[in-house]
Amino acid sequence: MAGLVTTFGAGAMTNSIGEIRDADFLFVIGSNTTEAHPIIAMEMKRAVKRGATLVVADPRSIWLTSMAERHLKLRPGTDIWLLNAMANVIVTEELYDEDFVAHNTEGFEAVAETVRAYTPEAAEQVTGVPAEEIRATARQYATTRKAGIYYTLGITEHSHGTDNVYALANLVLMTGHLGHASCGMNPLRGQNNVQGANDAGATPVFLPGYQRVDDPAVLAKYQASWGVELDPTPGLNLNEMMKVAGTQLKGFFVMGEDILLSEPNVAHLEEGLNGIEFLVLQDIFLNETARFADVILPAACFAEKDGVFTNSERRVQRVRKGVEPPGEARADWEILQDLARLCGADWDYGDPAEIYAEMVKDAPKFAGISHARIEREGGIQWPCASPDEPGTTFLHEGGILRGKGLFTPVDYRPSMELEDSEYPLLLSTGRTLYHYNSATQTRREQGAGFKQPEAYVELHPKDAGRRGIADGDLVELLTRRGNLRCRALISRQVRRGCIWMPFHFAEARANLLTNDVGDAVTGTAEYKVCAAEVKRLSEQPAPVAFRGSYYAVEGPGPGKVDELPMAPVSAADPGD
Amino acid sequence: MPSQEDRARVPEALEAAGGLRPGVARALARQTGVPEAEIYGVGSFFHLLSEPEVEVRVCQGLSCRLAGAEALLEAARESGLKAEGCQCLAACDQPPALLRRRRVLPALRLDEVRGAGADPGAIRAAAAPDDVWAGQVGPEADDPEHLAINLLGPLDWSGAAFARAASMGAAAVFDGLERSGLQGRGGAGFPAHIKWRGVASQAETERYVILNADEGEPGTFKDREVLLRRPDRVVEGLAIAAAAVGATQVYCYLRGEFEIPWQALEGAITRFDAEGRFPGIAFHLHAGQGAYICGEETALMEALEGGRGMPRLKPPFPTEKGLWGKPTLIHNVETIACLPGIVLRGGDWFRELGRTGAGTKLYCVSGHVARPGVYELPLGVTLDELVETAGGYTGRLQAFSPGGASSGFLPADKRDVPLDFKALAAEGSMLGSAGVVVLDESVDMAWAVAQQLRFFEAESCGQCAPCRIGTRFLRERLDAHRAAVAGAGRGEALAQVAEVAWQMNEGSICGLGQAAALPLTSALEHFPDAFA
Amino acid sequence: MTQPQTLTLNGRELAFAPGETVLEVAQRAGSFIPTLCHDPRLAPAGACRTCLVEIEGWRRMAPACATPATAGMAITSESGRIDRHRKSLMALYLADHPEGFVGSELGAPDQVYQLAERYAAPTDWPRMDNIRAGRPLDENPYILFDATKCIACARCTRYCDEVEAVTAITLAGRGSQTTIATVDNLSLLDTTCEMCGGCIDTCPTGAMAEKIPLLTAARPERELTKVRTTCNYCGVGCQMDLNIDPEGNGGRGKVVKITSPAPGTTTNDGNLCVKGRFAYDFIDHEDRLTTPLVRGADGQLQPASWSEALQRAAEGLLGVAERHGKDALGFISSSRCTVEENYLVQKMARAVFGTNHVHQCAAT
Repeated sequence: MAGLVTTFGAGAMTNSIGEIRDADFLFVIGSNTTEAHPIIAMEMKRAVKRGATLVVADPRSIWLTSMAERHLKLRPGTDIWLLNAMANVIVTEELYDEDFVAHNTEGFEAVAETVRAYTPEAAEQVTGVPAEEIRATARQYATTRKAGIYYTLGITEHSHGTDNVYALANLVLMTGHLGHASCGMNPLRGQNNVQGANDAGATPVFLPGYQRVDDPAVLAKYQASWGVELDPTPGLNLNEMMKVAGTQLKGFFVMGEDILLSEPNVAHLEEGLNGIEFLVLQDIFLNETARFADVILPAACFAEKDGVFTNSERRVQRVRKGVEPPGEARADWEILQDLARLCGADWDYGDPAEIYAEMVKDAPKFAGISHARIEREGGIQWPCASPDEPGTTFLHEGGILRGKGLFTPVDYRPSMELEDSEYPLLLSTGRTLYHYNSATQTRREQGAGFKQPEAYVELHPKDAGRRGIADGDLVELLTRRGNLRCRALISRQVRRGCIWMPFHFAEARANLLTNDVGDAVTGTAEYKVCAAEVKRLSEQPAPVAFRGSYYAVEGPGPGKVDELPMAPVSAADPGD
Repeated sequence: MPSQEDRARVPEALEAAGGLRPGVARALARQTGVPEAEIYGVGSFFHLLSEPEVEVRVCQGLSCRLAGAEALLEAARESGLKAEGCQCLAACDQPPALLRRRRVLPALRLDEVRGAGADPGAIRAAAAPDDVWAGQVGPEADDPEHLAINLLGPLDWSGAAFARAASMGAAAVFDGLERSGLQGRGGAGFPAHIKWRGVASQAETERYVILNADEGEPGTFKDREVLLRRPDRVVEGLAIAAAAVGATQVYCYLRGEFEIPWQALEGAITRFDAEGRFPGIAFHLHAGQGAYICGEETALMEALEGGRGMPRLKPPFPTEKGLWGKPTLIHNVETIACLPGIVLRGGDWFRELGRTGAGTKLYCVSGHVARPGVYELPLGVTLDELVETAGGYTGRLQAFSPGGASSGFLPADKRDVPLDFKALAAEGSMLGSAGVVVLDESVDMAWAVAQQLRFFEAESCGQCAPCRIGTRFLRERLDAHRAAVAGAGRGEALAQVAEVAWQMNEGSICGLGQAAALPLTSALEHFPDAFA
Repeated sequence: MTQPQTLTLNGRELAFAPGETVLEVAQRAGSFIPTLCHDPRLAPAGACRTCLVEIEGWRRMAPACATPATAGMAITSESGRIDRHRKSLMALYLADHPEGFVGSELGAPDQVYQLAERYAAPTDWPRMDNIRAGRPLDENPYILFDATKCIACARCTRYCDEVEAVTAITLAGRGSQTTIATVDNLSLLDTTCEMCGGCIDTCPTGAMAEKIPLLTAARPERELTKVRTTCNYCGVGCQMDLNIDPEGNGGRGKVVKITSPAPGTTTNDGNLCVKGRFAYDFIDHEDRLTTPLVRGADGQLQPASWSEALQRAAEGLLGVAERHGKDALGFISSSRCTVEENYLVQKMARAVFGTNHVHQCAAT
């Protein structure tokens, strides 16, 4: 998000979900859209069925790749090489939008100079993606007007995540794929209200509406509104806070997060939390972090309270109370208000609509939005400066928000940890369709357990074969930071030398393994790449109900047919 | 994503895999990229694929039943064969017929089945030495002047008609076709030249020609004989059509049970190819997998594309959007076989061959006649004339179906109605495919109707509600009625028949459903006593 | 500018846009034409035959859903012939459907009953036994297929193919045995199915249904209250309707099912995914925190009153600030909570405690 704000002046999807179906070219990178954002994937599928070209860049074969015209199966962590090589093609072949670059951007020359060295041939050596495929993708992207880029954490959860975002933004800026329908730069948000949490100022750098805390005019405005002195120094980001837990930070207020499950390098964090003095946790379930909590406050879930969520496309929509919370649980906003009052504040909000009204008063991007208006019209997309404006389906129409789009040259830096003889495999983590984040909700859903009851790691048939691992075997997964046990899934999806595991399972916390080296700008941890090894365990208790996956080499279900009187096709050898 | 070709090869790949055995659909999906459920859905639609365990099938069509098909099926089962009944095998002239894998064995006797024991391979039909056979055709005289197709005529590999059409140019061919008055011989009787001009006038230049050889209307077996005896005319006719409408790819869709006719057609194509007669035109053969509905032109196209053979909505018509959405000329085998003659001798010659309509017509006749077979006669002969050619009646005429099951039943007093498109339509019946079934007075008409209703119920594709529900509803009602009559209880079992028949005719998507009630409603009209 | 093209519907002149179907024109004009197999997200099938209308110059009635509007077309959607058609068609549907009536459904409303009632179709035609194969052994947790109620309109299979594009289910068999199947009739769990439940949502009869409400004998849909809200999982922001039994949970209200708003009305266009549609068990899970907890002197968490817990929380946080300075506190907010709540957390951090150490797990 920091990258987006720097480049465009706003951190959000530039375009809308409903425009995807009309796109003619879709570049999906670092997003397993069908599993993480199924409904957006439906729009992509619709576009493809309509005739759009889909190119997917991902180290794994994922569902979308089966529908893609091209699958750029890059080595994990080499995104910069791929993207800079695409920029190289666009610059060298003069496919960039000269007019747009001249009038709407600054810094093109620096990027053009940087990407000169990133030839497709050189990129092929690093990424493993054939130079011709890089060329073809770059050409199609540059020469299609309705061409959109869609990405998620596969881009950002790297030590160079912000660089990845810059590299993508450079492509958008040089081709002028901005300011009209079905194009742009579209981060698909992982959580229901990531956008809204950022919009609301729950970040160390920004007050509500992306107004910087170190901007004196902004600070003055808020000091006047809130009637208190405010600190102009940006605070610590999450990754930094986790690193200094117990040392610099002695107390925490945690709302709706299980920091122990979702943060990288958990072992280090546990050590830190042992050194803190006080922790308040406010949540709907007891979670791992509760072990360190002094006070736990029971909260209402989304079905039990009112408010708004803001989705990936900047649409502010209502959350409505349908049922009463159980027992004494209360809505988070009510708890927060009581706590603030006990801490000396004079808050007196009657309902979430009042809170929202206060927020938009000082945040011009949202000024035209209110609960009452959403009630009448349905969701409204910001920016929306006044009650008589309709809201904004795509950003930057008739000019970029920050004035001129800023090109940012970026160079490739290897991931912080690469495979070696001791840990010869590259581990990535991600989510699956059936679970959600730390799965505090979905693992309490009886149905999801039918499909994915146990933690598993996907590995390539050849990597499995070399280690004597069979489908469904219990294995130990090791990295420099820790190890865990899970089932092996011999998969057609991963490349050789790479393994992948979902991060949803508490008893096999993938984040025990991952690297907490943060991105220099956002602090987002490198969840996506680290070195690992897999070993078959000598004890093999029977699986609880390991069904495997449709994408396993050995498909589930009875009646496997080994021989058909037909010529075998190349697809029979997965993912080499 | 799977290509058009990947999808198109699914039915034949399923056939090669021995039908829809467990696991086959998934394995095929992995190979082709076609979704496994889609493959399963396709396999389950076609009877030759969906029942891989069945070894022999015994035709339970009306003509075969008259010849003891029920006893034959019973005998096959008693011998330990995995045997099932099936619908018409286009061998009504040689009843009862049995299907072993894809090979039709004609005129089987009980002892021939019993003698084979549990080994289906050991069944031998005396009527088919080496399992190869052809039916009775006529007239026997080789009379090229009066026969457009001339089933017994000499094969002609000269390509003269094609060469002549090429020298005339497409416009002249269309004009000749228009003058000939040729109407489609598949059943609908649509003027051929309108289709040709329709395809030729499309902006889209990728166009196809399809040969509809999915002959399955009970009582009909003429295409079988044309393919067996005059494949030269069929292939040359297709080439003429392709050249005239600007197509280079010709798809021949033969019902899967036509193994022998397939060989004849394939041989003719090879022969013409070897001689380089039709440059630039490619012929592709496809086997049906057991579904009468695929004789409907758009259902056939769905099947050719590798889908479930469910008819499409019209409009758009195939001339505009046919196979793979491209302009397509599709004709029945007999229609195509008329073309070389029309081109060589002129449209007027062809038109004059007919009596009350244009051209000669291949009439199939089966049931209670002396020599069941295919007879090429002037369009518009009467039943008596036809049966006389076929050696006369073997009993007293009670009823006849002039054009297959879809034409319903007419009483003996309609024996003088010309067997043509118009006159039969005026009687509430139709010429259809001219599959004439003759029933003598020994036949229980309610029993005969029940068989026809079973046929439509079994062969409804299931897509639209009036046909899917209606065919079953009528069959169940008639069964209930017959049971009630047998139990001496008269009931209201047939109370809804008229309304359901109206609904099926008005509401169904394609001709199958629209006509499926006709056997019952026509019999109720003409043979009320049979239901008393 | 070209003249807007028009047609007439029951004598009324209506403008239409190129590409619109007769049904779309009629719906826009507020004219009701019954449908069963129509879903605006899907290519028209024209298979259920309920939407047949008369078009001047056409011998046969035509399906409004699949017939493109053309200039000058004269359409009749109410006539003696059409009424007879609707009556007899719905009577046939009823004959092949479980006995029942509007208001007798156990789950979602059944449009076969609704249309039969609306057109006063005869209800006394003999019923036929169901001969469509179901999948009774499919142990998937969510999706029930009741073959007896299936009208083979193929909305579910077309949805699965055209919208969800996973093609896990198909029309199978043929004729009156036509049913909905998976490959080899495997459990949905062993197929490409992603459990989005779109088949349930598009099914007009309730043949595709949510298993859990039926197995737990929840009240039928007609007795539930619908509350429109936003999904709490990913960032797409799907709109959904909580289907609430107001008397459930001892009067607290109970979410017994989640359905999606009509296609074309919200960003998700009538679609939901497996989590949005089915993962709501957590709301009433026994693990929910129902009382504040404070850690006692023995190191164990003990239930406490709200005032006690809040007092303890306030004192604890203020104490840290006092001992170590305001920047010794970290506030972790949540992208799972509402905008308003995030606003309050950051305002508390900044305005009450004076620190900018506030963040959530969303630094993308």
